Amino acid sequence: MENIILVITIILVISGTFFSVIGVLGYFRFPDVYTRLHATGKVGVFGAVFLLLATALMEDATWGYALVLIFFLLVSGPATAHTIASAANSIGLKRKNALRDDLDICIDTDPRDHQKQI
Amino acid sequence: MVEFLKQILTIALYTSLLVHILLMGVVAFRLWKGENVIDRLMASDLIGNLTLVIMVLGTMIHHQNIFLDVALGLAALGFISTIAFAKYITDKRIF
Repeated sequence: MENIILVITIILVISGTFFSVIGVLGYFRFPDVYTRLHATGKVGVFGAVFLLLATALMEDATWGYALVLIFFLLVSGPATAHTIASAANSIGLKRKNALRDDLDICIDTDPRDHQKQI
Repeated sequence: MVEFLKQILTIALYTSLLVHILLMGVVAFRLWKGENVIDRLMASDLIGNLTLVIMVLGTMIHHQNIFLDVALGLAALGFISTIAFAKYITDKRIF
């Protein structure tokens, strides 16, 4: 039984590190703010959550903290990404390599103001 | 068998710690020289998340639960600061 828990923990640690590396690599390689935002969400959700699951499996009396942190990360990650994307759209950053831009006219602010900022 | 798997787990934990510290250094360079303000905001959010991951690794390496308390506070502070900066960029005012 302990062997199985150890093997699962090792797999979780390695996959968490893998997702962190993938997230930072995407943050450096992607051409645009919005696609980079898609990549950096992987570090907060998958990297941290897999390592927290490994901690909850291995250590004694940590599963309460681990569950609270997993819930908080799963709630706060999409909220942070949405707010940053909204800020990027409101200061007029363009999407690169897009076939069609549905958000060309900004909804939240005055359209004349948006045109002036670009 | 158990001792062997524990050795492999220790090696994996230290390797993961080293990789995360290297990633923090690389992202800190991007925080210094970013393209625009949103890039720097994303870099600071990413550094907060990587610090949280390092705290979780410290829990597993040193077998002390106090690191998870620090990680909980760090996650809350990073979330609130990122939301506040993004709303400031959007609305040009804080409150």
